[in-house]
Amino acid sequence: MSGNKHQYAFFLGCIAPNRYPGCEAAAIRTSAKVGIELLPLKGASCCPAPGAFGSIDLNVWYAMAARNVVLAEQMNMDITLICNGCYKSIWEVNHILKHNDELRDGVNEVLKEIDMEFKGTIDVWHLAELYYDPAICGVDKIRASVTRPLTGTKIAVHYGCHLMKPKKERHFGDTENPMWVDELVEALGAEAVQYRNKMQCCGAGGGVRGFDIVHSLDITNEKLINVKEVGADAITEVCPFCQLEYDRGQIEIAEKFGIKYGLPVLHFNELLGLAQGMSPQELALDLHAIDCKPFLEKIL
Amino acid sequence: MAREKNYGNPQLENKLRDRYYYVDDTKPEFLANVEKIGRTIAHMCYQCGTCTGSCPSAPRSSYRIRLFVRRAVLGLEEEALTDPDLWLCTTCYSCTDRCPRDIAPTDIIMAMRNLAFKWDIIPRNFLQTVQLIYKSGHGVPNNDVNRAARERLGLPRDPPTTHAYPEFIPGIQKILDHYKLKENADRMLAEEGK
Repeated sequence: MSGNKHQYAFFLGCIAPNRYPGCEAAAIRTSAKVGIELLPLKGASCCPAPGAFGSIDLNVWYAMAARNVVLAEQMNMDITLICNGCYKSIWEVNHILKHNDELRDGVNEVLKEIDMEFKGTIDVWHLAELYYDPAICGVDKIRASVTRPLTGTKIAVHYGCHLMKPKKERHFGDTENPMWVDELVEALGAEAVQYRNKMQCCGAGGGVRGFDIVHSLDITNEKLINVKEVGADAITEVCPFCQLEYDRGQIEIAEKFGIKYGLPVLHFNELLGLAQGMSPQELALDLHAIDCKPFLEKIL
Repeated sequence: MAREKNYGNPQLENKLRDRYYYVDDTKPEFLANVEKIGRTIAHMCYQCGTCTGSCPSAPRSSYRIRLFVRRAVLGLEEEALTDPDLWLCTTCYSCTDRCPRDIAPTDIIMAMRNLAFKWDIIPRNFLQTVQLIYKSGHGVPNNDVNRAARERLGLPRDPPTTHAYPEFIPGIQKILDHYKLKENADRMLAEEGK
């Protein structure tokens, strides 16, 4: 669709641009170094949050997500994004509406009120899968782009839920012990450590963080125990909402449970940015609730 | 000859009526609604419990996804929709990936939440998200600390979303109004405040 130039409409979502802008800056700069150009998707909104909106009324979720897809259809460009929650909304609604005439007709009836129509002409990709795809970028190209290898660091990969699951509707294969993001992390020179119950949820999704924060944090705490056990220097993920749950969650866990981890949490794009020579300032790592210094000291 | 079938013993009849599976408001249409909204095949469930065994919420609460699937199959609408555990699913889809009957228990929960909303049963944080998106297009809107950080990074102070292009917000409001979502969220939050 985007030809050899690998241009994509960059769907930002909410948490990346409005809480961790370093993720956005890193995505734009790191992708440019491997030949991917991200263009702004003007007027996009919240995806909308699949847990919150999907729980209230799936029809509204379809229509709201479809509006974002149509903005990219109007640019005649595939979408890429950097958040698993956004992936669930944008990828899944695009997929459902392409294959379900009844739902598509229902959505188009509503979109007509704002002079829009879902046509089903574009595809949606997570930037991490584009990085992994040898036809677009691939692990070797990522490795070649590294100027400051993360040698000597141990990194625990959190895949999150809504990128790869439910697997029968996705195209990522195994969801019990995936390794593809681990491969990307190792391409940066770090050691991707394996830990217990790697695919467990971070605890934030489905509106649970807002509904019952203690329940949510108890799930997060279990993950942190498992990550700490294998001596990881940092957690990396491909979802700013998981990032928020692990990062700010550690402060909340300290307050509510009295347990301190001090484990830095970095989006894969931030990690890639560091490995490509971006400074912590250029990534606004100071906005992270958990100080990234212990990790940075190992690589700078 | 048609006649009523019973034990001829009122005391025993009462006892039988007390059995937990005897529920006279069972609604078969509940199962049909759940299956339609959730786009899944709840009736195929044979109650193996793989879903509950895979669930990160189960070990730390009374939430049992298997129980909710059973309630769907038996048409126990009220029991399902009024149980606060309905909101403890993080929608991680582990149960869905492992279900040997190819059911999506997660989507059964989503369907039940949609039906609960029609009964005005919904936690307030969900309604607050609706209000935020109606106002700004974002569930997690920008703020001044973040604007300053964005500027430092060489990014525009407001991202090129509805934040930088507020002219797109009326379209979003039209979609939400079509489903009366904002109206209902405002009403429910106002009632709660009384």
